[in-house]
Amino acid sequence: MDPVLEFLEAWLKDTYIHHLMNENRWAWPVSESLHFMGLSLLFGIVGLYDLRLIGFLKRLPMAALHRLIPWGVLGYGINLMSGLTFLSARPDQYIHNPSFQVKLLFMTGAGINVTVFYLMSYGLVKEMGSGMEAPVRARIAGAVSLACWTGVIVCGRLITFFRPPAFYWCFWC
Amino acid sequence: MDWKAFFTGVEASWLSVWVRESESLLAFPAIIALHAIGMGLLVGANIAMDLRVLGFAPRIPLSVLDALFPVMAIGFSVNAVSGVLLLLAYPTKALTNPLFYAKLTLIALALVAARSIWKRMPGNQEAAQEPVPSKLKMLAGLSLGLWAAAVAAGRFLAYTYTYLSAYDL
Repeated sequence: MDPVLEFLEAWLKDTYIHHLMNENRWAWPVSESLHFMGLSLLFGIVGLYDLRLIGFLKRLPMAALHRLIPWGVLGYGINLMSGLTFLSARPDQYIHNPSFQVKLLFMTGAGINVTVFYLMSYGLVKEMGSGMEAPVRARIAGAVSLACWTGVIVCGRLITFFRPPAFYWCFWC
Repeated sequence: MDWKAFFTGVEASWLSVWVRESESLLAFPAIIALHAIGMGLLVGANIAMDLRVLGFAPRIPLSVLDALFPVMAIGFSVNAVSGVLLLLAYPTKALTNPLFYAKLTLIALALVAARSIWKRMPGNQEAAQEPVPSKLKMLAGLSLGLWAAAVAAGRFLAYTYTYLSAYDL
């Protein structure tokens, strides 16, 4: 058996959240509802900023729009927490799931992209008002962000169609 | 009206069978993925408008918030089409669940709220120093609540149905 999964299952099986998710019939749908509200916050707010970076919605002042980004980060936080409740409940259904693994890859891509954006391009756009066009590297960052988060949503929705044991990816096994 | 015959007929149509039973990832899986993306665009852009009305990101002029409408319209269109396809695939499952009607009502109310927020917006080209009327703020709060409830209702549909297909009636 996969040692990573073995460790996770041993660690999680006595946790409160593992029991709550598996024994209370409403815990899963409540967690999913939060996950979809977080999705709307993250994809909606960050996606708007991405669209503005790419060159759409130019009437919105870039700097002022950036003030909404913390709400997108809140969505990310909600989804990290609610996502962990699913993982805690059924680690075997996620760890080896190809769609879940690709989802994590897209999340990593979004993470690297946002880091590079704030280090290399944010300074060029942070004072921008309405009607102004972002430089090419900021536009690329916007497009990469939008593509990665779209990939995250698609892979998230496909998890259920790639469940182990029928599907099984384990590059570390 | 013979509902069982109606649902049986819909479920036997080629489009319903394709969405429900095709092995292709472009059938049911792609449609629910699109439904989530459309939701993110529609609800997300609406949240952005509500947050601005509530006083966050105050340097966005209220008068340019209509720039968000095309994003909402695209999200709504994607979800109307994908939603109808999902309904065709599982008409019995949806239409025998009272929560489905609640979800549609919540969406209708949320759209009415969004429309009346825009209609009451002070037409102010300056970087809106003018305080937003408290009635408008209440509408924005209501809008956030309605969208949250609509999203939750959608998720709970997967856990609250009684009959999956006409065969179960």
